[in-house]
Amino acid sequence: MQTILPAVRLAGLAVTTGPLVRDFLADGLAAGQDAGALERTARTVGLRRRLVAAPGQTALDLCADAATRLLAACPEPAAQVDAVIFVTQTPDHAQPNNACLLHGRLGLARTVAAYDVSLGCSGWVYALQQAALLCAHGGARAVLLCAGDTLSRTTNPRDRATDPLFGDAGSATLVVRDPAAGAWHFVLGTDGARARVIEVPGGGARSPRGAEPWVEHADADGNVRHPGDLHMDGAEVFNFSLREVPAAIAEVMALARWSEPDVDALVLHQANRFVLSAVGRKGGFPAAKTPMDLVERFGNQSSASIPCALVEALGPELGRRPLRVVACGFGVGLSWGAVALTLGPVTLVPTAPLPPAP
Amino acid sequence: MSLAEEQRWQALQADVDALAAAPAGMDTVLAGLPQWDSLAVLLVLTHAEQAYGRTLTGAQVRACRTARDLVALLS
Repeated sequence: MQTILPAVRLAGLAVTTGPLVRDFLADGLAAGQDAGALERTARTVGLRRRLVAAPGQTALDLCADAATRLLAACPEPAAQVDAVIFVTQTPDHAQPNNACLLHGRLGLARTVAAYDVSLGCSGWVYALQQAALLCAHGGARAVLLCAGDTLSRTTNPRDRATDPLFGDAGSATLVVRDPAAGAWHFVLGTDGARARVIEVPGGGARSPRGAEPWVEHADADGNVRHPGDLHMDGAEVFNFSLREVPAAIAEVMALARWSEPDVDALVLHQANRFVLSAVGRKGGFPAAKTPMDLVERFGNQSSASIPCALVEALGPELGRRPLRVVACGFGVGLSWGAVALTLGPVTLVPTAPLPPAP
Repeated sequence: MSLAEEQRWQALQADVDALAAAPAGMDTVLAGLPQWDSLAVLLVLTHAEQAYGRTLTGAQVRACRTARDLVALLS
């Protein structure tokens, strides 16, 4: 699906991370894993350090902190928020949704719409399209988009292929109607036939928790999980990324009538260095325009990874001039979304960890 | 062993660390290699994409018993 939405501007961004540092090598050694094997994985995949939530902290807490700090930094659009969109795979409850809970926490007016988008790593781009749609054609003056997950809690500690990948974070993005702003271009796609390549099979209405005992099993590599744990088929996710992401980037650039020299930065979902390098090579974008090191500082932050990369990698440059940016998120669904937009001026709130509750 | 097969094998060894020290060359049984794991499978997929522009599935790579089967898969 292609969408062109005029007269919208990204007014501000904030990211709140989990406060706890997890070190891949130290964790593996403490679990009795072989030092050489750990170093090989760290070097090849790019696993070093990640920040995870403290006990009791949820994606709602992380996003609420990011939203509070962002709205305080942008008082004018904050007063015009007409909708809240919350992207997460780790909501506080099956019901009610996180957007309504956040609406209550922030004390927003009863005229403000609030809904969740159930997506992961592609979710920020999808929700950005929703926010832009609401501003361009839906009567909203400003939309608060929150995207975040605590995926570090969804993996089995004995699944060495999946458990070390994820960091926890919440992001807040403020989108505003602005007649002076240019158009945003979107390409959204889905491959539902391969939906089970990334899944948590248990715990929903199809396989409720408690209906049958969740029994742990080991795969061919000895990685252990049960139906309530997140599972990713790494090889198929890799092939999906190489198949769909470069094509989506090319399509959205054609839609925007941009070529590679027109683009200041290509910001990809920070899955891991292995995937980012392969996608970057196939897409033909210069490495200097494609931030790749965020995942080694924060871990894979799911739907918060693109806003985090925008703040951390482009922040200094965005303070000086507008930037033409192409961003692409891809993951559970299988789902992908690419956007071409000009950023700036943007209020960037410094990334900060949420302190653990005393 | 043909020259093309030997070249394919050497290129594969250069990109996939698990195969670098295959004790029986192309007759090495993959399951016996200590680093033959999901990461090695990913490296084979990357090699196939980069060197030959081919997309293999994880199942295709997992179905190979020996290194020679892998080289044949790339041929």
